[in-house]
Amino acid sequence: MINRKITLLGPEGTNLYVIFQFLLFNVISWFTLFNITSELSFSLENILVRQIIFTILGLIVFFFFTYIPISNIISLSNILMVSSTLLLLGVLFTEESLGARRRYDLGIFDFQPSEFTKVVFVIFLANALSKKTNNFLTIGLVITNLLLIYIQPDLGTTVILLLLVFFMFFLTEIKFKNIVAFSLLTFIAFFVLLEFNLVNTFQIDRITDFYSNEVKDFSQQQSRLQISLGGFLGENLSNTSNIDIFVPVQTTDFIFSSFSKSFGFLGCVILLSFWFIFGFRVYSLIIKTESNFEKFLLSGFMILLYLQIFINIATVLGLIPLTGDPFPLLSLGGSSIIAISSIFGIINRIFIENNLVI
Amino acid sequence: MFNKYRLNSVLILFSIFSAVIFSELFVLQVLDNEENAQQIENQNFEVFYIPAARGEIFDINGNKLASSILEPYLFLNLKKINEDNKKTYIQLIQFNFKEISNSEIEEFFQSKDLFIKIINLSQYDPEIRIRLLDFEAFEVFNLPTRSYPYNELFSHVIGYVGNPNNDEQNNFPNSINNKLVGKTGLERYYENIISGTASEVIVQNGNIVEIKPSVSGKDIQLVLNTKTQNVVKESLQEGILLANKNFETTNMIERGAVVVQKIDTGEIVSMVSLPDFDPNQFVLGISEFDFKQLNRTQAFNNFAIQGLYPPGSVFKVVAYWLALNEGIFPETAINAQDYIDCEGSLSFGFDDGSKQVYQDWKPDGHGKVNLSQAMKQSCNVYFWDIALKIWRTFGNTDSEALLQEYSKQLGFSSLSNIDLPFEKQGVVPDRELFEEWTISRPELVRPEGWLGGDLMNLIIGQGAITTTPVQVSNAYRTLLTGEKSSPFLSLESSNNIIEQINISDEFVKFLLDDLNLVTNPGGTAYKSFQIMGDQIFDIGGKTGTAQNAGDLNNTSWFVGIDSISDPKYIVVTVVEEGGSGSAVAAPISRRIIQHLRESELTPVEFGEITE
Repeated sequence: MINRKITLLGPEGTNLYVIFQFLLFNVISWFTLFNITSELSFSLENILVRQIIFTILGLIVFFFFTYIPISNIISLSNILMVSSTLLLLGVLFTEESLGARRRYDLGIFDFQPSEFTKVVFVIFLANALSKKTNNFLTIGLVITNLLLIYIQPDLGTTVILLLLVFFMFFLTEIKFKNIVAFSLLTFIAFFVLLEFNLVNTFQIDRITDFYSNEVKDFSQQQSRLQISLGGFLGENLSNTSNIDIFVPVQTTDFIFSSFSKSFGFLGCVILLSFWFIFGFRVYSLIIKTESNFEKFLLSGFMILLYLQIFINIATVLGLIPLTGDPFPLLSLGGSSIIAISSIFGIINRIFIENNLVI
Repeated sequence: MFNKYRLNSVLILFSIFSAVIFSELFVLQVLDNEENAQQIENQNFEVFYIPAARGEIFDINGNKLASSILEPYLFLNLKKINEDNKKTYIQLIQFNFKEISNSEIEEFFQSKDLFIKIINLSQYDPEIRIRLLDFEAFEVFNLPTRSYPYNELFSHVIGYVGNPNNDEQNNFPNSINNKLVGKTGLERYYENIISGTASEVIVQNGNIVEIKPSVSGKDIQLVLNTKTQNVVKESLQEGILLANKNFETTNMIERGAVVVQKIDTGEIVSMVSLPDFDPNQFVLGISEFDFKQLNRTQAFNNFAIQGLYPPGSVFKVVAYWLALNEGIFPETAINAQDYIDCEGSLSFGFDDGSKQVYQDWKPDGHGKVNLSQAMKQSCNVYFWDIALKIWRTFGNTDSEALLQEYSKQLGFSSLSNIDLPFEKQGVVPDRELFEEWTISRPELVRPEGWLGGDLMNLIIGQGAITTTPVQVSNAYRTLLTGEKSSPFLSLESSNNIIEQINISDEFVKFLLDDLNLVTNPGGTAYKSFQIMGDQIFDIGGKTGTAQNAGDLNNTSWFVGIDSISDPKYIVVTVVEEGGSGSAVAAPISRRIIQHLRESELTPVEFGEITE
């Protein structure tokens, strides 16, 4: 291993692309939040101030991971998985808020351990799959974490993690009949849970209502109208009058709806293009690197990010039932930003270690 | 092994997702833009707000001091009423609810609201509810009702709720839709935590399209003890009754307050202010007559935090601490143990040659007194001598305000920042304040400004100084623990140490021993505590009798410590115009201390008139 000299922007060999991309997404989020509040006060109550603080915390996390060699992350993967399990266990003993136990109250912001679990899942699976250590303990830990998130209850995150596990197994040489078996097992597990009344009926109702009703969910119907209001260039540029629409949680789950209203179709194309460009850069890194762990890790991270983006947009467009998943680096929320900062930090490190100039 | 081709197929799948999203966005934003904008214009939403349930308030043993009960109410959707069906609905209401008068029904239909509240359904047969809901203009919503099971007992601590005014709507945004705000007490202080957000019923063309549920307020856990509160209130009432019997004052004695504070944590175990009121009266709306009557008796004032009284001799502990800390004793005494002669008066010359004579409350004097004896017998002469010493040593220099600095260190003249609103802070006078008053409030001060006599008044807690009972309690706590912190009622506000003050264990022991002398034979409060037998050797306190301007009777004070060997509680009692501290406030405190020590309670009896 090469000992890398430390420079201001990261270890020797750093290029500025990943940090630029990270900051760009954050700044887009600031503008979106500013359009929602239009408030300029320096208090912790102001969502824009909060988001800027989260970005700064995110930057610290980003640089922290930039300085950690990938070999260390490999050796930490099991410890990370165990701590994720413990954090998810602990959260069940916190105070219930809005019908769920999902977060630790840390004063200025709430820490949501399931965001941490998302990152840990990718690291843990990448390690397990690259070493072919698919033993019972591995599977057991994965299932335990999934169940712990499921009973919070947080169906949205559970679905994202299930899909992530599915896609990451799919990337191995695993035979198709095993993939079919995996899917079948998931279905059977689901019905077993249903049989033992371990499924919250309101979550199931939400899904069945969605596909049986002619009328869309009220929030989603309103959100579609709000997106439409953006037009081609966005409300900001074409000066549409401000009309009251009943879209809930505009700053988190439904932020893409306000983003679309503010920046229009063009804005959506530009934002998603940035994500695609980032995706292709990482794709070229996946092809170049010789480490199987890094290949799995990078693919896992990108699948995780894209799944969240697709599911979030599909939700606000009313294509799938409400899930309550945030849009990466756009939604207000400390846990999500910090988790994604660590992903960007690790990706940056892999770029550096592979001396890939981009 | 990593399979690159499978990654490519994932890429293709994701490209399909993206294509779906882009086409959907394109249709919505570019093709259907105009049409949807029109649809938004025509939405015509109206919102009806249903108040959220306020958080409940519990005492330390889990007794509910304020509760929120959700009850079903029948509402009428006025948008669905027209000339054709109006008659049917009138008949339905008349038939099912006989107690609603016809004029009331007529009023319902005049209302401009979206929904009008008809009646509380909780006492009615559920069948009626099911039957009525078949008619499309009827709706049932759950409304919270606030109630206070202990009525008057916690009136000042809990406070009451009412309709928000403009200021309150600005400061507490939740109150706009809840149509309710905490007006005083904890209901006010914790308004943002306790209030919750109202439910939104979104209505389009008379139809409910969406109901966003309310978020209930957070519960508040207090450190108050209901049992103690009961004993405290009874004792204070008995004491006030006795004071009225024994004094012939021009005014009725009716106002007083007690604070019981735990020494180790600073938590408030009990807080009573009299006269009080029943907060339940405000829930359904209080009549103007009742409100004015309560206001006339000052029932809305929490005298424990808002009553500003000169503290009288209970303030002497400040000078006591100063004397031991700075080594400042009367001119003729070398140390705290050394005796001076108290002849019942003190005379000394001013710089201009005139002579001033100060008369102690005991005309014959206390005889030979040292610092401990001066505390025990509340001897003014001894403390005046200390004031003179300070004046002669530091007068007209920068260090002149020594006594004021010591009292400010103990929290006098600043807010204690207890978790209650509208606290008052009082004043500790000094030269600057007098100079300021000469301009702003000339009626309060002599033209000569700050003089040695003012310092002599201050040292015995008389003159311009004003304090609240909670300040006095907290000051004694600081002296006994060295910890300066805010007293608190709710666990939400615990852990708020402001400062550590250097107070030696030796000093605490000395102070406790001298406070103990007060309740022992020869002490000012002996007669009030005599009934407790041998226990008096483990109890401490300080009496105070503060003179008031004009022909008002004196303010009666007592600060009690439940145990000298193991001090747990401070009990501060004030009776406005109650007269001598040893006669009225001391026996009230005695009964409370009996309760705190788990001894048998004996009735409050009139004590000895001293000071």
